[in-house]
Amino acid sequence: MLAAAEIDPPGQDAAPKPLPTSDLALRFSGVEHRYGARVALDQLEMSVPRGETVALLGPNGAGKSTAISLLLGLRRPHAGKVEVLGTTPRRAVSQGRVGAMLQTGTGSGLPPGVRVDAVLRLVRRLYRHPAPFDATVERAGISELLGRQTQRLSGGQAQRVRFAIAIAGDPELVFLDEPTAAMDVSGRRAFWRMIRTYAKEGRTIVFATHHLEEADQNAHRVVVVNHGRVVADGPGATLKATVVARRVRFVCSGADRALLDSLEGVTDVRVNGTGVVIDSLDADATVEALVRHRVRFKDLEVTGAGLEDAFIALTGAEAPREHDR
Amino acid sequence: MMPLLAFTRFEVGRLLRSWKFLVVTVGFPVVFYMLFLGDRSPSKVVDGALPWRAYLLVSMCSFGALVASLTAGGARLSAERASGWARQLRVTPIASWSYVVTKVVATMLVVLPVLVLVEAVGVGFGGVHLSAAMWFELSGLLWLSSLPFAFLGVFIGLLVHAETAFPVVTALMFALGYFGGLFVPVASMPHALQVLAHVLPSFHNTALGIALLAGQRPALSHPLVLLGYGAVLALLLLVVHRREESRGLA
Repeated sequence: MLAAAEIDPPGQDAAPKPLPTSDLALRFSGVEHRYGARVALDQLEMSVPRGETVALLGPNGAGKSTAISLLLGLRRPHAGKVEVLGTTPRRAVSQGRVGAMLQTGTGSGLPPGVRVDAVLRLVRRLYRHPAPFDATVERAGISELLGRQTQRLSGGQAQRVRFAIAIAGDPELVFLDEPTAAMDVSGRRAFWRMIRTYAKEGRTIVFATHHLEEADQNAHRVVVVNHGRVVADGPGATLKATVVARRVRFVCSGADRALLDSLEGVTDVRVNGTGVVIDSLDADATVEALVRHRVRFKDLEVTGAGLEDAFIALTGAEAPREHDR
Repeated sequence: MMPLLAFTRFEVGRLLRSWKFLVVTVGFPVVFYMLFLGDRSPSKVVDGALPWRAYLLVSMCSFGALVASLTAGGARLSAERASGWARQLRVTPIASWSYVVTKVVATMLVVLPVLVLVEAVGVGFGGVHLSAAMWFELSGLLWLSSLPFAFLGVFIGLLVHAETAFPVVTALMFALGYFGGLFVPVASMPHALQVLAHVLPSFHNTALGIALLAGQRPALSHPLVLLGYGAVLALLLLVVHRREESRGLA
């Protein structure tokens, strides 16, 4: 698990004020995109202020990659407007203000038959004001890979090189589409540590993932997307709170189900033999009520319901598992 | 302009550092030259005009240009696009057309040394001797007229799937080589094949060089057919590129 100190505290302001356009890194206004008859984005409304790290969370096919394609100008919306850094996506890209790590499927995303340093030097030359070579190498942690041929890199190493490519132009805004696919657990952890450090430099980072933990641990804000719409938007902790605040478990013989159901804050009661599980929006009040009503409980335990549950409740989809990717 | 130069240099460097590329593009024409040469005396004359050793030199130069073009584009390009690299370039500041243009330019740039190497074998092994001006003119002519090949290679790379690109390129290489009269003089082919040869760019590319060495005025059909191929393939490249662009792939 990550040390708490490594995680930036989520923003606390309750009522987000509308920001002037110049302070926005990106904005979708009523954006629609279709693949033939299939609707990929459906009246999408969303904006990200500069300097924020935002996760786009959703099951496969939710529209995350389509949203990123539109933000990079690789595709055009069929309706609505996409703005990036106060201009059109294509212009923001050609001005070199945007960097991206795209999904590459089974490919490495790198040209074969050439050394890593040559690729990085080439990419730098495509930008007018690139970041210093050494700074990029250090940020991406690829100094020991520079002399390697691109086709000899492992999946995780190639991913790091692709991150270096994404930031070589010193972009204000970075998109990462499922960046940790093909990485093992320790590789993932190192990768996110790198991203969080980079975000602290004041960059705006938008990443797509279907890993709940990744979204929760690495973003200021999680935007849950499903069927091309935003279904929830807020700090990871708030998302959990919007669905189920707390889960109260205890052991009790002969629990009175109707009584438990009537207690303060309770949204759901499950009794299985002597085991009782209560979902509550206000765990403190619920436990107080249990005491007041002299319910004889043992082994009481209060836990936060996982983001996993929030995800299922919000999208109606089974949370994706490893083998789905 | 700087980014395009850097990109072109990167591509040329990648091609010239690839052993596979060099062995195929230089190896094929050089080995075929040695195999097919047989009688290298100046008295063996084809088409009543040119010694066989010089004729074969021109046709093997054409073949080298053809092989280099199809190999530089073709399967390499197709695999590279499948890997996601082309898409990655699309999110850098360079214009979307620069990928296609750079590929064509890089192909043309690697065709030049291939021509010179085959010519060197023509001198050393075949004993073909020309004035410096004639070498220069011949190389320039064959080089310029191989532009349709460069277009073709890039076109296949953009159009064909990575797994099918290799057999498609190999088949095209030998079909254009054989039926274009690069291995056997067209004049000694059956009539139907002679008709076929006249619609292939490889035939007209070689014919230009042969006319030059034989001191004849080349038929107007040679440059016209090559220009036609160039124009049609350039248009096809544009169409395929547009399609890729609209799919968010280019």
